[in-house]
Amino acid sequence: MSATGSRQSILARIRSATADSASTTPYASLPRNYTHSGSQPTAAVLHLLAERLREYDADLIECSPADLAACIADRLAASGRHKFVAPTDLPAAWLAPGFDWLIDHNLTHHQIELCDGVLTAAFAAIADSGTIVLHHSSTEGRRVLTLLPDWHLCILRATQVVETLPEYFSRCGHPPALVTFISGPSATADIEMTRIKGVHGPRFLNVILVRDDLQSVPHHYEAGSHEQL
Amino acid sequence: MSGAAGGSIATRSSDPVLDPVRALPFPEAALPILHNTQLRTNVAHATDIIQAKRARLVQEKSDWQALRTAAAAIRDNVLQNLGDYLEQFETNCIAAGGFVHWATDADEARRIILDLLRDENASEVIKIKTMTSAEIQLNPALEAAGIHPVETDLAELILQLGDDEPSHIVVPALHVNRFQVREIFARRMGLPNLADDPQALTAAARAHLRKKFLSVPAAISGANFLIAETGSVSIVESEGNGRMCLTLPRTLITLAGIEKVLPRYRDLEVMLQILARSATGERMNPYTSLWTGVVPNDGPQRFHVVLLDNGRSSILARPVERQTLRCIRCAACQNACPVYRQTGGHAYGSVYGGPIGAILTPQLMHLEHAQSLPYASSLCGACYEVCPVKINIPEVLIELRAQVTDIERKQATRVFDPMYLGMRVANTIFSSAGLFHLAQRLGRIALAPFTRKDGWIHSLPSLGSRWTVSRDLRGLSKQTFRDWWSVRQKEKP
Repeated sequence: MSATGSRQSILARIRSATADSASTTPYASLPRNYTHSGSQPTAAVLHLLAERLREYDADLIECSPADLAACIADRLAASGRHKFVAPTDLPAAWLAPGFDWLIDHNLTHHQIELCDGVLTAAFAAIADSGTIVLHHSSTEGRRVLTLLPDWHLCILRATQVVETLPEYFSRCGHPPALVTFISGPSATADIEMTRIKGVHGPRFLNVILVRDDLQSVPHHYEAGSHEQL
Repeated sequence: MSGAAGGSIATRSSDPVLDPVRALPFPEAALPILHNTQLRTNVAHATDIIQAKRARLVQEKSDWQALRTAAAAIRDNVLQNLGDYLEQFETNCIAAGGFVHWATDADEARRIILDLLRDENASEVIKIKTMTSAEIQLNPALEAAGIHPVETDLAELILQLGDDEPSHIVVPALHVNRFQVREIFARRMGLPNLADDPQALTAAARAHLRKKFLSVPAAISGANFLIAETGSVSIVESEGNGRMCLTLPRTLITLAGIEKVLPRYRDLEVMLQILARSATGERMNPYTSLWTGVVPNDGPQRFHVVLLDNGRSSILARPVERQTLRCIRCAACQNACPVYRQTGGHAYGSVYGGPIGAILTPQLMHLEHAQSLPYASSLCGACYEVCPVKINIPEVLIELRAQVTDIERKQATRVFDPMYLGMRVANTIFSSAGLFHLAQRLGRIALAPFTRKDGWIHSLPSLGSRWTVSRDLRGLSKQTFRDWWSVRQKEKP
């Protein structure tokens, strides 16, 4: 059968099979009575995210916007690694001096593979499942960037964190062309259901949570009510 | 379990190729497995762990039933409007730089994929775990054409190197234990000193596959979801082998059943919440990828989707069976099934084992093969209870049993089959009150010698032994209700 022939015959079979189902619920009226928005205050949502990430053996620390550059330099130094790759449009202040930086102007897979780690921003994070969402913009990097290096440092702003998955979709607007949902480092349980971290993706996921939510209410920050994170 | 540590280990208990056309009937295929204590221990261990994790995470989700209802409704909406959604997907995927192919059956899908790989001059292709490619027996066809498929999922790699077959939809090598994996890897990767802890075994797989990821120019994937609204494809995975295959090669070929489509990107807010919890007992799997056609400078620059019918449109046409196509392949029904938990997946003679396989495989075969599978169930309903898209599997099983029976009783070879003969006799007797009373009296006389004092028949001779070999039979009571009633009326003053 020719290529168009198969297309026509499959669609014809489908149409005849579903001819009697015209009177069914339209898409817009489908039942969606599940939880859409979270109910917890910001501090609790951020605490939940931290807890979930640590369950996945991901590492999370937080800092104020003013301290971010120093915090990044500190994390990079603590990793014991030296050669890092970054997407094209990260703020210059993030690229801490004293390390080898490769900026991804069409780097080859081999060049990226030779880096010890990668530094990126993120699009959003979902506290309920400890998920970081990348839309692969010019601050989040091409997909290969967060795949080949073994160590990933991801900068997340507190105002990017939502409690539930449906909240992310509400914020998302026009559907992105590329998305990666990351929930902890690469893992497998294929051998006797024993969870092993780091199969093919990065083995180490580190997150810096920038408390940009506290900018307008510095008083609370000074009071230290969120410091338990 | 350590007894299995040395020497050559058979992890396979049935026909090496999971082909419903050639498979033995389920009871015959299951018999040797029931004697394989090692395999049954491995399967029980894995399914116990997944079930416990799933139960805990479902428990914490207060809107679980609302999510199930929404998921079932979305999938039903897809099936009712499948033609429109597929055309929408096709238009958007092509607009984004992808190519869309349609395959009526397994043979056509294999030919399309082989032609695409020949255009690439590929001698090797890396693969993400795809049950659909096993459904169309793709790997043997690739090998025959001189193209070596490299399975990159850890479980699939274990099976490929061990010359074995998947026994579970989500954890395909759950019937193999660490000692068996060590033996396979040590032999096939040339690592005689490999340790048998899962950490070392996983590291060996990582090293083994790394160079393949960076050098092989073409990849084959399945699809968890196709998005009609955008023409995007989504893959849900844990290890990162999926991301490697979706990102590094020059060319990507995605093989997807026509039922895999979702109306909108946003529908993932339901599907991603139920899938990982049901499949692996995680709130979210480590990696979910979504891509749209070809994205300049990011990932494969040639992208093909092969939409596979292979019997699905005929399932769509049947009102009771249509719900089979809601399935999102989470395998929760396999883990919950008391039959699967005893036999593992190979006995089902298809890549789709367990309750979903028992309804899907016979339908994909148009009931010409795998007729024994609808009977591979106790109808206990555990599968329906855990199904995140609410497929009433027992209902479909019973419908398929009725169809199998209707086919069989019309076959000339079954005219003197004791069961169908008995049914025809019963049909005649039950149609006439006089014959029925006569049969009751004769039956009482005939069965009296076999009825024990406890009122039960424990063994019958000849044909009757086929029943009593595995079940007891209630003896006929000394008096029927009608007899009792007429005596009572006469005795009334």
